[in-house]
Amino acid sequence: MRNQEGSSVKEEFLRKWIRGLRRYSCEKKNMSFLERKKAIKLSADLAMASTRDKTIRWSQALIANAASENVCIGSSSAPKKSSRKKKMMLMRRSRARVKSVKKEMSSARCIAKRLMEKRTRKLKNLLPGGESMEDGCLVEETLDYIQSLRDQIEVMRSLLTASQLIINPS
Amino acid sequence: MGDRENFDVDRDRDRVNYSTSMASDWRFGVGNVANSMVDSYVTNFWDHSNSQNLGFCDINIQNNGGSSNMNVVGKDGFSYGRGGHDHRTLEMGWNHASSLLKGDNNAFLPNGPAMLPQSLSQFPGDSGFIERAARLSCFGAGSGDMVSSFGIPQSMNLYARIGETMQGTGDALLGHGLRSGALGGQSHKSDPNLVEAAKDDDKEMSLQDDKRSENLAVSHEEGKQALGGSANESDRAESSGQDDSPMLESTSGEPSNKGLSSKKRKRIGQDADKDKANGSPEQSGADAKENSGSRQQKEEGKPTPSTKGSGKNAKQGSQASDPPKEEYIHVRARRGQATNSHSLAERVRREKISERMKFLQDLVPGCSKVTGKAVMLDEIINYVQSLQRQVEFLSMKLATVNPRMDFNIEGLLAKEILQQRAGTCSAHGFPPELSMAFPPLHPPRPGLVPSALPSMANSSDILRRTLQPNLAYLNGGFKDPNQLPEVWDDELHNVVQMTFPTPAPPSCQDLDGSGSGSVPSGQTKTEP
Repeated sequence: MRNQEGSSVKEEFLRKWIRGLRRYSCEKKNMSFLERKKAIKLSADLAMASTRDKTIRWSQALIANAASENVCIGSSSAPKKSSRKKKMMLMRRSRARVKSVKKEMSSARCIAKRLMEKRTRKLKNLLPGGESMEDGCLVEETLDYIQSLRDQIEVMRSLLTASQLIINPS
Repeated sequence: MGDRENFDVDRDRDRVNYSTSMASDWRFGVGNVANSMVDSYVTNFWDHSNSQNLGFCDINIQNNGGSSNMNVVGKDGFSYGRGGHDHRTLEMGWNHASSLLKGDNNAFLPNGPAMLPQSLSQFPGDSGFIERAARLSCFGAGSGDMVSSFGIPQSMNLYARIGETMQGTGDALLGHGLRSGALGGQSHKSDPNLVEAAKDDDKEMSLQDDKRSENLAVSHEEGKQALGGSANESDRAESSGQDDSPMLESTSGEPSNKGLSSKKRKRIGQDADKDKANGSPEQSGADAKENSGSRQQKEEGKPTPSTKGSGKNAKQGSQASDPPKEEYIHVRARRGQATNSHSLAERVRREKISERMKFLQDLVPGCSKVTGKAVMLDEIINYVQSLQRQVEFLSMKLATVNPRMDFNIEGLLAKEILQQRAGTCSAHGFPPELSMAFPPLHPPRPGLVPSALPSMANSSDILRRTLQPNLAYLNGGFKDPNQLPEVWDDELHNVVQMTFPTPAPPSCQDLDGSGSGSVPSGQTKTEP
């Protein structure tokens, strides 16, 4: 799916991440450790999310969440209103498709179903904005999310190693 | 099982009785019965029409245990009504008989007669045959608490078997009935004999009809209840009778004039249907569905288990049963599968999901051997959690590694990494190995290190200095280092244009600003 664009995606991610970091640095000179960590992570997440299409839900949800939560560090990044609107639209669209689960009597099939429900619920909690997704959509988003996470981790790790080496050349 | 068969036979018989004749001969029978229970039974059964027997049975029912009788009667009437018969005569018979038979307190009677009407109604009109059957039923009717001289308990089973056999082969049953009837007719005293004879015969016959009796078992639960005989059972029978009544109606909608064979065929066919209907709900887990309900469902929709299965199979209840999506995919229903639009859409959805799961299988390490959605989902969840934790950990590490470094510095370092990576021309597709260790930066950049340390103090200078070699390296020293932001943006553009290869050891550079750093072995540099 995203095999071909793997490297370019990572580049884009890194670029955006750097941009985000720069913005943080502009705003605050001295941050606590946790703040730094948060800033790093947030900018990384946002960068990762921004590399994905608007059609990908988890990315939009992630951005919206970050904007609405007013995360940390006094970031006045994207105009919050637009993000909030985006989030509302997103949620509204997805909520319209959610159907209620029928109640059933206990049987082997029902037990299996309950197990599945438990797991899908777990997955939904993991995925940003996953609560309002359906089955098929959920699987797709999970797929995309996993790929993005892997990209993100790789870039971060390489940056980390680089910086570590710079600091400690031995 | 025997009870069920009895019931079945009784029902058949009842129908036939009704159809054949409603002569008032039953009155005679009633009168005879007054003499002695046994005698009256025997004689009446022998001499009078089927309806008479019916009447007798009913009388007996009435007389024995008011409540149970009434229950049984009610039940019988119920079944009769379902069968489409006029049960007025039955009631009349009961009314009359009650006055006659008052001393009889046997509990078995209700059972027998209860059985009888139903079975009788369903049997074709061989009056003699039915008489015998009725007699047998009376003899054999009754639960274990019967103390009558008839030796009821056994005879009940006998009757059940007889009913079974009647169902199975008409002729054989006829003969059997004749035999037993003859036995009964000859001497009511020979009840044990009758019982034994019937028993023996039944055993022979029962083998054939065991299966059929099983088929009928469900549909004739009512009869079974009736045969049980106790008041409790009669109550149960009532409810089950109600359950069965729609079934009875559906199954036996034909006039009672039809021959036994035709009825049998229809019943067997319907029973087979019922069996299937019973089977499919079980498969789909519709435990709550009654037999009739499930049967009706089955009769409505050809589809069968697949429909119910698909309905229940949804991963998340009815979330799945969306009507066809925006893009209209023309799906053809496979053979033997539901053609319902809902199930079709669901099938499409399920296939889609399984396809995606296959992708996930490739993506998530260690999932190739796993089959089944639940375990796969578990693995996926674990993997996503671990990835998220990794991100957190890495960001934390980044925060610690450069606690004093500006973000700018980090960005610059990242830039450098990108530039170094640009050195390798090969573009590696996704997924690059996460486990692939980032090759340690070869000869560290001593120049950079000291420059990095005082970066806090004078970031701009440092930046300039650190950037310079890179810039020189990349662009041949084209840009003014002072124009950091512009350079930065340009670099970014360059980076974007570059391929993003797998980590490659960056070249070593020194502060001298030599344009070309030492090339790591095996690595070639490419221009931006």
